[in-house]
Amino acid sequence: MTAALLVTGAGGVGKTTVSAALGVTAARSGKRTLVLTVDPARRLASALGVGDELGSEPQPHSEEPNLWAAMLDSSLSWRSVATKHADPEVAGRLVNNEFFLAASEHFPASQSYAAADQAATFVEAGAWDLVVIDTPPSAGGIDFFTAPAQMADLVGGRLLRWLTGGPLPGRFLYRRAGRPMLRIADSILGNDLLERVAEFLLDLRTTYDGVADRGRQIEALMGRATILVVTTADPAPITEAARFYRELPEVGGTPAAVIFNRTLPDDWIGFEPPGNVDRELAENLARWGAESLRQSDARAEFAAVNRAEVATIPWMPEPPTDLDGLALLIERAGSLPSGLLEPT
Amino acid sequence: MGTWFSRSLSKLRTEAVLDKRLLLVSGKGGVGKSAVSAALAQLATRQGKRVLLIDMGESAGLTAHLGISELEFTPREVRTDLFAMRMVRSDALIEYLTLQLSLRGLKTLGPLARAFDALATAAPAVREIISIGKVLWEVRERHWDLVVADAPPTGQIGSYLRAPLSIAELVPTGRIQRQAAWMGSTLSNRDLTALVLVNLAEELPTTETAQTLEWLEQNDLVGPPTIVTNRLVDELVTAPSGTGPVRDAAIHHQAVYSEQQRWLGRLPPDITLPYLFGLLTPSEVAARLSDEFEERL
Repeated sequence: MTAALLVTGAGGVGKTTVSAALGVTAARSGKRTLVLTVDPARRLASALGVGDELGSEPQPHSEEPNLWAAMLDSSLSWRSVATKHADPEVAGRLVNNEFFLAASEHFPASQSYAAADQAATFVEAGAWDLVVIDTPPSAGGIDFFTAPAQMADLVGGRLLRWLTGGPLPGRFLYRRAGRPMLRIADSILGNDLLERVAEFLLDLRTTYDGVADRGRQIEALMGRATILVVTTADPAPITEAARFYRELPEVGGTPAAVIFNRTLPDDWIGFEPPGNVDRELAENLARWGAESLRQSDARAEFAAVNRAEVATIPWMPEPPTDLDGLALLIERAGSLPSGLLEPT
Repeated sequence: MGTWFSRSLSKLRTEAVLDKRLLLVSGKGGVGKSAVSAALAQLATRQGKRVLLIDMGESAGLTAHLGISELEFTPREVRTDLFAMRMVRSDALIEYLTLQLSLRGLKTLGPLARAFDALATAAPAVREIISIGKVLWEVRERHWDLVVADAPPTGQIGSYLRAPLSIAELVPTGRIQRQAAWMGSTLSNRDLTALVLVNLAEELPTTETAQTLEWLEQNDLVGPPTIVTNRLVDELVTAPSGTGPVRDAAIHHQAVYSEQQRWLGRLPPDITLPYLFGLLTPSEVAARLSDEFEERL
């Protein structure tokens, strides 16, 4: 059975790099591993051996036979909601609808749903021992669990009921019913905007059964995944990581560990340099030591407050540019949970 | 490789930042956007201005930098002459319907608001116009000398800046269309509005900032942005020597420095802010950055 490792965390903490590093390490230990990434930096993409041409189809790495990489493309797959779950005529109307793209851009859950759908497809394929899933920055990871239900709710017509005034509306019903609020809204907006939105939502509604079924499959699959939360020791991502620790259990997942990326060495804290050391260098150590102390305090506090297993990945000033560099991050990691990369 | 953008580093752009009426502070997630927003607002207050600081996002960043627990839609005075509020779209919408469309007293405002909310899910630019519209309304009302918005990240800022234009395209006539036109002209008025882009001298933030600059140049919706590059370390004059932590920390510092210089060269900033070592609380960070700004502006 394919194991899934879901890497969550705020944007900008190095989630994508950590995902890639874990993937490389698993591949080198003999597991057939797929790394699903979101918008990797150019140097990271080239480290994964995919350069600029990373697409949504898994590509094998030229130097590491057990490693594949692919990109989760959230724009592409909302389209697939239409083509998979609506009949061809409706699907054709949907993908050409002026509101369709807007809805896919504006409803954050739809992007997470699309990404989770693709990720689930690769896990179900059974072609890999491990699928490492890097999550989109907007969602941060929690949306992978909540998006399927929210998506079903969206296409299922909660909004549509408002526009049409009935649970099983016919087209244009709201106009005939003459709902006064909608007439006011229409008069403010100056044209038949709401009606056009209602038409779109009616088409979208035909995808409900398909989206709801698929949503339950995705939820079951994400429920089996091992979850990691990545953060740095900065206050904003820590706040976000703490939120994941609070909220993930409510939606069906419990983090296995929090990984503090960009960690400085502990032995810099309070180190007294010998008297003959250059003054500028001694002062430099003192300020980095203060920074290391701040990080260490932040980790201890996080572990205590959230009852979290804390792991660390060292701060590498230059991002890894090849497989060895990525693997080195995990070799130098502190306290990673044992068996993290083992199939469950 | 040369710089990605030949940007004219006009003195005016940096000096006049606090003389605007609206500062929109954006940047990639994690670059210190909220800290910079709080710092700029505090500096303006110190210069005797009455300032409204608006948290347009859902992160807890701004409250932490102000050292308070939470913000509400109604502005409250968090320091002398510094007022802060949080954008709540449903509140902004109801305020808009009652004040601007004079639908006051309408009993059934709830359903109308919900119809708009439905619209906001499916129609382009509706949710953005509600948020940016509230910000611009505060600028227009002139209760404040300066409005500082901790704006959505660079990934989304374009759709907010473009919202007035998108609405005008979607709704070709009527009151909303006229208001959209006014909003668009306030955003593009260089005397009133400045966009501040916070950046880090790292690959992903710099790439994203450069893409944003390109988009801004093509779309011409707002004046040239002021680029603030945050968390820069200075150069060590002394070469790393010795053994153990002294040497390791020096090597680490130089590696961070040269990596930063590489990206700094690609996208020269208007203002630089230093890496703050070992500061514990976000409000300490905001206060220190505010001092740093004062030296530079």
